[in-house]
Amino acid sequence: MISLAGRDILHSWGKFVLTGIGLGLLIGATLTMAGVYRGMVDDAQVLLSNSGADIWVVQKDTQGPYAEASNIKDDVYRGVRGLPGVAQAANVTYLTMQVQQGTRESRVMVVGFEPGQPGEPGYLVAGRRLLRGHFEAIADVKTGFRLGERIRIRRHDYEVVGLTQRTVSSGGDPMVFIPLKDAQEAQFLKDNDAIIADRARTAANPALNRPGVPGLLDAVNAAQTVNRSVNAVLVKVDAGATPAAVAQEIRRWKHLQAYTREQMEEILVAKLIATSAKQIGMFLAILTVVSAAIVAFIIYTMTLGKIREIAVLKLIGTRNRSIAGMILQQALGLGLIGFVVGKISATLWAPAFPKYVLLENGDALRALVVVMLVCTLASTLAIRAALKVDPAEAIGG
Amino acid sequence: MKTLFSRRSAFILAGIALLGAFAWGMARSGPLAPQQVIVAQVQRADLAPALFGIGVVEARRSYLVGPTSAGRVRRVAVDVGETVTAGQLLAEMDPVDLDQRLSATGAAAARAAKAIDTAAAQLSDSLARREVAAANARRYDDLGKKGFVSSSVTEGKSQELKSASAQVAAAEAGLAGARQDLARLDAEREGARQQRANLRLLAPADGVVTARDAEPGSTVVAGQAVLRLVAADSLWVRLRLDQQRAAGLQVGLPAEIVLRSRPGQVLAGRVARVEMLSDSVTEERIAQVSFDALPLDVSIGEMSEITLRLPAIRQALVLPSAALRQREGKTGVWVRAGDKLSFVAVKPGSSGADGRVQILEGLKAGDEVIVHSEREIGEQSRIRVVSALTAS
Amino acid sequence: MDQGIHIEGLSKRYGAGDTAVDALKEVNMSIAPGEVVGLVGPSGSGKTTLLKCLGAVIEPTRGRMTLGGEVIYDHAEGGWKTKDLRALRRDRIGFIFQAPYLIPFLDVTDNVALLPMLAGRANAASRARAQELLQALDVAHRAKAQPSELSGGEQQRVSIARALANQPPVILADEPTAPLDSQRALAVMRILNQMASQYQTAIIVVTHDEKIIPIFKRIYHIRDGRTVEEAGEGRQIS
Repeated sequence: MISLAGRDILHSWGKFVLTGIGLGLLIGATLTMAGVYRGMVDDAQVLLSNSGADIWVVQKDTQGPYAEASNIKDDVYRGVRGLPGVAQAANVTYLTMQVQQGTRESRVMVVGFEPGQPGEPGYLVAGRRLLRGHFEAIADVKTGFRLGERIRIRRHDYEVVGLTQRTVSSGGDPMVFIPLKDAQEAQFLKDNDAIIADRARTAANPALNRPGVPGLLDAVNAAQTVNRSVNAVLVKVDAGATPAAVAQEIRRWKHLQAYTREQMEEILVAKLIATSAKQIGMFLAILTVVSAAIVAFIIYTMTLGKIREIAVLKLIGTRNRSIAGMILQQALGLGLIGFVVGKISATLWAPAFPKYVLLENGDALRALVVVMLVCTLASTLAIRAALKVDPAEAIGG
Repeated sequence: MKTLFSRRSAFILAGIALLGAFAWGMARSGPLAPQQVIVAQVQRADLAPALFGIGVVEARRSYLVGPTSAGRVRRVAVDVGETVTAGQLLAEMDPVDLDQRLSATGAAAARAAKAIDTAAAQLSDSLARREVAAANARRYDDLGKKGFVSSSVTEGKSQELKSASAQVAAAEAGLAGARQDLARLDAEREGARQQRANLRLLAPADGVVTARDAEPGSTVVAGQAVLRLVAADSLWVRLRLDQQRAAGLQVGLPAEIVLRSRPGQVLAGRVARVEMLSDSVTEERIAQVSFDALPLDVSIGEMSEITLRLPAIRQALVLPSAALRQREGKTGVWVRAGDKLSFVAVKPGSSGADGRVQILEGLKAGDEVIVHSEREIGEQSRIRVVSALTAS
Repeated sequence: MDQGIHIEGLSKRYGAGDTAVDALKEVNMSIAPGEVVGLVGPSGSGKTTLLKCLGAVIEPTRGRMTLGGEVIYDHAEGGWKTKDLRALRRDRIGFIFQAPYLIPFLDVTDNVALLPMLAGRANAASRARAQELLQALDVAHRAKAQPSELSGGEQQRVSIARALANQPPVILADEPTAPLDSQRALAVMRILNQMASQYQTAIIVVTHDEKIIPIFKRIYHIRDGRTVEEAGEGRQIS
């Protein structure tokens, strides 16, 4: 027995492939949508992984440093460092801002870290690690910065000495790593006009500018410009210690909030991107329904175009099973072409997206199953129509 | 026949193309794809470590010029930016009644001088009187002995002599008192004059006026500055170095100074002083770096970036610092031996200015380590060595 | 019982009650193997209904039909003798339609070979059989062509080959010459005659084509559901 479906596909393969490609682009869009969601989750995961921490110590009663603003004094880490079970503790700052490179601007998350401590990028794709204590930066490749370029953060120029990859904030902004002290300054440094206006305000305050106390005004001004805050302390625990126990200790004795990796994931994935995830989920559901409808219509239309042939086939003794099989095989073939085209197109255009799109093979596999299922379901409509065709129609026109 | 053949082959070709593209897509995006890495060999080389910090231009010698007592500024003779020489009058405080007090003490001294004259005259008068009294007393004493006069007369004359002597003593004391009075008044006048001179604020050394903090008419308290001076030839940079990266800091190290106003120009300098105290809050060490040749129009307070060159380490084991990774609390590198990857803990030493780091323990020359990678590496990672990562 | 087609008292009623229409009324026909018989009648006379009953696609309401020496339908004995009407059509009845109705996505050989394949014969044997028939019908040179590439006459010849593929005792031809000019129509009729005698097949040709009516030796006229048999001219095709 010859494959009727195969022969039919072979006969009108141009139409078939074109239809498959059209369907494939739609499936590609669906896959991409799933990839966007996976990318968001992955962004959150790599944010946590890249920081290399077991515990995040943040301001009391906040969900910082990623989901909420958090400020703690930069000497807190010393106390944390002394707790049993703590292997490393390091200050870190996070600040989302626009960074200038020439006339170009990029939205980035500026991370202030201490070399050799948690918070440092784990690996580089080019260049070197920070060598100087100031004015050097490691940038994510997504920023578009190149090695040797000078970028401007607030009032200082930084030289890009290293490039890293897949270091992004939970919002998908690429990161720029700079030394902690520079970052502290950048985070809290006001612009010059504001500083001068502040000085004038202080000078106008009689309590702070007493005639009989020389030097008081200078002291007050100096005190105002110094910033001793960071956003979080990243803690790595000893090999034997459990993060949850150490975090509990920090919460209890240091009067700070401490989150373990699991809690941080909960905050980032369940809370921060929950709405976006639902949004994407809705879109995904609609796309799936639309794809299913389109497959169903295509198969149905293709079948209606063959009504007479089907009648003849029935008349000359073809079994229903064979006819249903032909339609089903065509639907599945269409789905397969669509899936392959979709996967290819998604792979092709995913890197062009501004935010990370993660195409998981598991998702692709699930998509394949769904596509096949949808095609099977969609073909039932056409199969019903085909089975209803009366072989008598072939006789007597 | 031909059409069917071409149709079928076209279909097969299209299918192969699709599957090929599919396979490519899976290999590219999935975990199946080997990750690209750049490797380097551990080698022996000279390593030139460098320290880097930022500093602020300061004056080694700066002077606050102000009055020693509260007063009102009468005149300010110089302005910001003027060069002054030692002893030059910079400003003057309002003396208020000091001049009057000076002339009053002068008058009093003159009067005291006169009083000395009077006392001297009285002394000579009393001396004369005593001589007469002494002569009379002697004569009557002789007469009394010869019995010409009664003893009571003799005693009377003796008594006169004693009285005259006492008067001489009183006159001498009066003269000494008048002289002391004069000395006191002279001292008082000198004091007032010095006080007057103190109101003239003079330059303590050669220098440049950097601030004029009070204008004529304003009142300043003792110790408050009216003007600030710096010694223009004493500018240096106060350098702050991260404690973590301050090893090797010592006096005499050559320094490269880049002023913020001249980012392209490297000025030579030298560490002039290293402070024992480091800032415990900012965790920084502090050192002063002097210019070999003081540039013109450098401004105090200007920020500068300073690189200190440490003596080179000869034939050290070095590798690019990007190769260092943290894993399970250890610093180490990924070593490639054939197809196998292993994490080797190392003990890093000094860092070179070129981004290479010295390895003290853990590796030997010729070991191949992974420098750059697309992702985190594990023992199971499949890698492909390339000369440059596509992403960069 | 001898081969060929035998119909006795075949009736077909559409609908029921007042609106019932009797399309066939007690039709009797008998066609011997190798005989080509015309079935002529105006539109609505019931000839298509008769063809459909013979073709086992609609069920008569009364009567008895014998194809190739085997009773396939006997109303008195409970209707169709087999449940598998498709197998019956596939194995015992060849169809030729007004339009060739070739399967467009199969080439000429496979169009013919499809029937033996459906009957369960091996692909190679089926294709060999098809090749043989195409040879006999003089279209072997187009064996690998697509149906759309054939001329009308060639298509009709392929469809005749298809009808003969499973060596059915009976072929039902529904106006096989309608789209053809007279020369081609006559050619088709000659082939049918030839095939009928060659394969001993009983052939019913439904037609109202004046050009070919004189060819039949025997003609059944059908009017208002009843048939009247008469002798035809039996003219030879020149």
